[in-house]
Amino acid sequence: MNRSLVILLGALALGAAVFAGSYFAGQRACVAGLTRSADDLSWLREEFHLSDTEMAHIRQLHEGYMPQCAKMCALLAAKKTEVQAALGDGTNVTSEAQEKMTELGELRAQCQAQMLRHFIAVSQAMPPEQGQRYLAEMKRLTLGFHEEIEQSMSDSAGHEHHQP
Amino acid sequence: MNPDDTKLSTLLRKSRVSPPLPPRFQEKVWRRIEDAEAPAPSVPGLSWLDALAALVLRPRFAYATVTALALAGILLGVYQGAQTAKQNEQARYLALVAPNPLR
Repeated sequence: MNRSLVILLGALALGAAVFAGSYFAGQRACVAGLTRSADDLSWLREEFHLSDTEMAHIRQLHEGYMPQCAKMCALLAAKKTEVQAALGDGTNVTSEAQEKMTELGELRAQCQAQMLRHFIAVSQAMPPEQGQRYLAEMKRLTLGFHEEIEQSMSDSAGHEHHQP
Repeated sequence: MNPDDTKLSTLLRKSRVSPPLPPRFQEKVWRRIEDAEAPAPSVPGLSWLDALAALVLRPRFAYATVTALALAGILLGVYQGAQTAKQNEQARYLALVAPNPLR
């Protein structure tokens, strides 16, 4: 092989190694440095530029909401176990299983309503513009997921209807 | 024998037979001289590779390139790291206030 070509390929490999090494080192250092914070609400402070007073109010709301959230989660987990037991190994959906699934759906709706109420309360503790942004972001991250699934389901259903 | 004897010297010179030169001898000699002085013919596609390799091997160029690549890598890594850290923090908050069963 040509000597010049070998030199150039070697230089290229060395350059790529230097770039990749620096990239990963920089990324790791940054992630480690920025996620070191023990505060669960640090994202709120950074993202929505909140003052200490606003953070104190939001922290109070957060601490009030957490036990309610944990209670709802426990109720949901228990209801899911009931649904699983009602479904059992059978090949059909019994009336009891259907009833349990309806209860699970109602409980989930209650949880979501409670969650949205909390988001609204938190958004009101922020400056108006940031509050609106927070609420929109929370709706997108929590309820948007279901909307995406439902949208994809209706799209695929519509697509199937068009097929002969 | 007398070295100053001119008659004898002339006789001796005439007695030495020199072979005739081949045809176009002088022209051929000049051509060989010109070929030897001309630069080596370049192989197409090789000259720029050689020039680039020579450039890469220059210490100043090599140090500058390595420094630029390292700097670019660190900057891009820090930017990506900041994005990842932000996403991690957001996911951490979301997991607390909206656990998966609620979503």
